[in-house]
Amino acid sequence: MIVTDGLTKHFGRKRAVDGLSFSVTPGVVTGFLGPNGSGKSTTMRMIMGLDAPDAGRAMVNGLLYDELRWPLREVGALLDATAFHPGRSARNHLRCLARTNEIPDRRIDEVLDIVGLTAVADQRAGKYSLGMGQRLGIAAALLGDPGVLLFDEPVNGLDPEGIRWVRHLLRDLAGEGRTILVSSHLINEMALTAERLVVIGRGALIAETSVDEFVARHRSEAVRIVTPTPQRFVSALGRAGARPSVDPDGAIIVSGLASSVIGELAAEKALTLHELTPVHASLEDVFMELTSESVEYRSLAPDAEAAPSALVAR
Amino acid sequence: MTIAVPTTTRHWRSGLSHAMRSEWTKLVSLRSTKVTLLVTVAGTLLVTYLSSRSALHHSRQWYQGFDPTNQSLTGLAVGSLAIGVLGVLAMTGEYGAGTIRSSLAAVPRREVLMSAKVLVVGLCTLVIGEALSFASFFFGQAILSGGAPTATLNQPGVVRAVALSGAFLALFALLGLGLGAIIRHTAGAIAAFAGVTLLLPILLHGISGDPARFAPEIIFANSVSAVVAQQAGALSATIGTVLMVMYCAAALIMGAAVLNRRDA
Repeated sequence: MIVTDGLTKHFGRKRAVDGLSFSVTPGVVTGFLGPNGSGKSTTMRMIMGLDAPDAGRAMVNGLLYDELRWPLREVGALLDATAFHPGRSARNHLRCLARTNEIPDRRIDEVLDIVGLTAVADQRAGKYSLGMGQRLGIAAALLGDPGVLLFDEPVNGLDPEGIRWVRHLLRDLAGEGRTILVSSHLINEMALTAERLVVIGRGALIAETSVDEFVARHRSEAVRIVTPTPQRFVSALGRAGARPSVDPDGAIIVSGLASSVIGELAAEKALTLHELTPVHASLEDVFMELTSESVEYRSLAPDAEAAPSALVAR
Repeated sequence: MTIAVPTTTRHWRSGLSHAMRSEWTKLVSLRSTKVTLLVTVAGTLLVTYLSSRSALHHSRQWYQGFDPTNQSLTGLAVGSLAIGVLGVLAMTGEYGAGTIRSSLAAVPRREVLMSAKVLVVGLCTLVIGEALSFASFFFGQAILSGGAPTATLNQPGVVRAVALSGAFLALFALLGLGLGAIIRHTAGAIAAFAGVTLLLPILLHGISGDPARFAPEIIFANSVSAVVAQQAGALSATIGTVLMVMYCAAALIMGAAVLNRRDA
């Protein structure tokens, strides 16, 4: 169980985390979702006692992190892809950690086996690929067989097989009754893995909900129209009070009008229809819209191509 | 799921002994430790050999005020630089990658982590320093016996000079450790260490009142490893040692404060 209460952190004048309160419960994977720079990693570092909050606090199993008797046996974390010395082997890295929390050496072999690094366990970790480094980080997180696990962007640098493996691992760990918080900036990834969501933007809480509820509440309906006379259709839709947009491929996207209404409108104005398809906004689109005001690093003019084409046929 | 063990009492001592075991593993599992130790030992013995050889077969006058103990410990000056780098690396190795975050996840109380590092690096370098200092002494005397005055351990002040010189190697390692904790970057911390040990005596040399005698390497060479006073105005071994301990304490306390205050 992780509980944060009014967690706040400034970096200089910038407010990185802003009065963040949420809780992560055992037994399910909780996705920690937000755009880059929204404060996910900082929040996780504060839960781990690595960064000191300016206000508020984060508790794990009812205690501050540095009050835990054997922290690695209660909390495991993958925060950096390279939280190990490049000159040390995977086995020795895990050995150093195991010693501090009185974890037996056989557990090192077990976690090396779980993450599939047994064959390269005695090589210098500096030679590992990003994906292998990520696996070593996961091994370190699992070392103390902890009930609470934090993963910061765990699929970074993994190949598709590795990504699938992480998804299964997270769900298995949650199935064993553990508390799992996994951050991502990709909502589609979260929809596949997580059951609950904590969504933040600019360090502040946007939503704390289940994935299903989040999708149901925010998914918006739209209709895609293909016609040989798009300009006439657009002006007719405009007069009917809708605000259509035109996709690069020439299709018209309009929301707020049911397809039946549009069909009748076409008949009334004698406009030819080639296609009339109800579509829904993708999860990604919902997420973008929800966090659009809180995106920290925006590329120039992304809307031109991103907004209309983000609608997909159901 | 593991069962939470709620506790608000601070298990300082048990935490420290576990953290020390981990620090020992960290130290011995790095190639840089072996390399710096090899340089420490080989550099010391090589310079001791050359220095002792250079003192052979001189005129009776040349041996006026000759200090065979000091002559045989000259090589430790090289050793003190290499072992200081070992101290720097023991700390900055945590910061090169994100290792410090793993270390603090395992040992969240920073004063425990810092104490464990100081104790393990201090004790290891003390053992190595003493062994190397006595080895250097006997090696040097063996060479000097080929045609120069020699010293033995039962002469007054000789054991003190040899033993203190060994302890000074540990102090140089701790000075490096402290600078590493303050600066947190390998290159920067090694530069600072070289500045304090190599550059400072040169910069202070020639200033009135001879402030260079307060510099660590000068204390080491002229006050601690000497039986016969090497230079007029040199500090006594006791004052020199107290001063060096204070330098190390200052660096370590500042380093601990940086570790405590800053985000990892």
